Amino acid sequence: MRKEGLLRVLVLLVVSLFFFAGGGQAADKPVKIGFAYIMSGPFATYGQFAKQGAELAIEEVNAKGGILGRKVEAYFEDTAGKPDVGIRVIRKHVFENGADVVMGIDSSGVAAAVAPVMTELKTPLIITHAATPDVTGSKCNRYTFRVSLNINQNIAMAAAIAADMKVKTWTTAGPDYSFGHQSWEYFQTYLSRKKPDAVFLPQAEVAFSPAATTDFSSYITKIMNSKADGVLISLWGGNLIDFVRQAVDMGFFDGKREILMTLGAATEVLYALKEKMPTGIWVGTRYWFLANDTPVNKAFVDAYVKRYNVYPSYNAHGAYAAVKAYAAAAEKVKAVDKEKIVEGLRGLSLELPVGKITIRPEDHQAVTDGVWGKTAADPKYPIRVLQPIRKFTGAEITPPVAETGCKMN
Amino acid sequence: MDAFLANLFNGLSWGMLLFLISIGLTIIFGVMGVLNFAHGSLFMLGAYLCMQFVRWTGSFWTGLLLGPPLVAAVAVAIERFFLRPLYGRDVSLQLLLTFGLMLFLDDGVRLIWGAAYHVVQPPDALSGSVAIFSQSYPLYRLFLVVLGPLVGLALWAFFSFTLWGKLLRAAAMDRQMAEIVGVRVPVLFTAVFAFGAWLAAVGGALAAPHQSVGPAMGERIIIESFIVVVIGGMGSFPGAFVGALILGLLNSFGTTFFPQVQMALPYILLAAILLTRPRGLFGAES
Repeated sequence: MRKEGLLRVLVLLVVSLFFFAGGGQAADKPVKIGFAYIMSGPFATYGQFAKQGAELAIEEVNAKGGILGRKVEAYFEDTAGKPDVGIRVIRKHVFENGADVVMGIDSSGVAAAVAPVMTELKTPLIITHAATPDVTGSKCNRYTFRVSLNINQNIAMAAAIAADMKVKTWTTAGPDYSFGHQSWEYFQTYLSRKKPDAVFLPQAEVAFSPAATTDFSSYITKIMNSKADGVLISLWGGNLIDFVRQAVDMGFFDGKREILMTLGAATEVLYALKEKMPTGIWVGTRYWFLANDTPVNKAFVDAYVKRYNVYPSYNAHGAYAAVKAYAAAAEKVKAVDKEKIVEGLRGLSLELPVGKITIRPEDHQAVTDGVWGKTAADPKYPIRVLQPIRKFTGAEITPPVAETGCKMN
Repeated sequence: MDAFLANLFNGLSWGMLLFLISIGLTIIFGVMGVLNFAHGSLFMLGAYLCMQFVRWTGSFWTGLLLGPPLVAAVAVAIERFFLRPLYGRDVSLQLLLTFGLMLFLDDGVRLIWGAAYHVVQPPDALSGSVAIFSQSYPLYRLFLVVLGPLVGLALWAFFSFTLWGKLLRAAAMDRQMAEIVGVRVPVLFTAVFAFGAWLAAVGGALAAPHQSVGPAMGERIIIESFIVVVIGGMGSFPGAFVGALILGLLNSFGTTFFPQVQMALPYILLAAILLTRPRGLFGAES
């Protein structure tokens, strides 16, 4: 009798163990998404916005019955913007949280470190912010996708705008790691194609600042005393805020030089600077909430403002877009199996607030429209807006696959 | 000439902020023998509290006046309840504690004020810029350049002529002897820690109008401050001043003339000093 009881307990245990750990086919098991963003340090507000965008998208998906009838669950981890931490939290998502897919990544440094790990983890990664061309280029692989604009696409727009300017000599102010250096390299390449006589200051005379810099005065002085009359600024986040504030005080925006800020239209930055952001400056972004009149965009902006009381940033849009892309891929292949999702994401086209995007099957980079604009004051908005707006189609700014160096295996 | 002056002022104004942080760090180390990793976080807390007072009252001066004493009060609690049980025990325990405090404070401000960046306007009287030859230079930075030596002078007078200053120096030189002649060392320790924290918070409040206030803003400055303290000599007062100036100027002129190695310059200097004068430029020989 006692033995029988013991056996019963044992059977129960084994069955439940199987059910929780191995199962996976149970209809009520949620789809788990692991998000990895910068949640601490000087770039933490990007993580906050991304989290908001992700939560909004998940709420919408769940309200419509989830993905293939399964609820979506989110896990958020902090990469701290460091490659080693990034790899650790991705592993944690896959092994501990049991994530079906991983999304996010702000820093190009982290993205470049994480992408190769995905082939080992055999889990799809959808990058929503980091812009290094490598992850859909030399380091591209079966499991790594990107729904946001990359450096090439953004800089192609910068070069198109720069080509119309009467600038003789260009210099740059950028973060002293791959993102800043690659932005400057591609700018030289792309602008030279359009304007063979464009002059660029040599490496020793441009201004690359370490990411931890808070005092930019010496870099500003350096640019102001150089002979350059055009400046490409690829600083972002807290760096850009500090740079702009100090540059305003030092008379940098005195009209003597043309300025292009590749990520100046991030609402994270615009909210922090408010009226301190000078007007009439060309700024780029990966998504601008006023650039698109489609119902999809209107619904997104309205829902976002209603819920969070701020306008969505491009990072919020990136996270939102990744969740929607994943859901669409799952519906397309009728499964959330990791290998099948990869097939579903390849060549996927969907309508997003930013416009229609297509994920190229050859390199997994999204072909998506881009926006640049000139900063302007508008009493209807608490932050600087873009006026005029210059829109570029994905087709005209995305380099052909052959140029990316991607060899998909 | 213009570029030279601009670089000079850039370096001096950054150096003066470094000086305010380093002097607190070096006093706390000199008197108490504690390496305070949380010092950068106290700097950050000073900036946040200043920002909060500016929001409430609209006046930067109120923030500068009222923020730092609050940070000093926090420091009193830290010293009394966390540091005190660790005196006389292994130094690594103190390091662990102050490192933990740093993480705790960094996340604490994020809980209260959020992860977003905040902006503090400089006071109206200092918000313009002045013409230096052909270039304009922000008045607020010049204010920092002038303020630094004034603070240094005030501190020097305090240490040289007041009773408390002399007690502090006595305790720094020989803790046991000071205790024997009747100095109440525990009270002195609390006061020193609070004073150092107050200086860091003043630095934070002064930094707020020219850089964005955000979590982890103390990280960069604490690393450079440690370099300043080591270069100048652990516990040395003039050492902190000279070290901060050297680092500030290295930062500004390095950017212009040696951009490729600018990031490494402070560390190269650090290594050179450690090899040739392990006790720092002004360190006392034992």
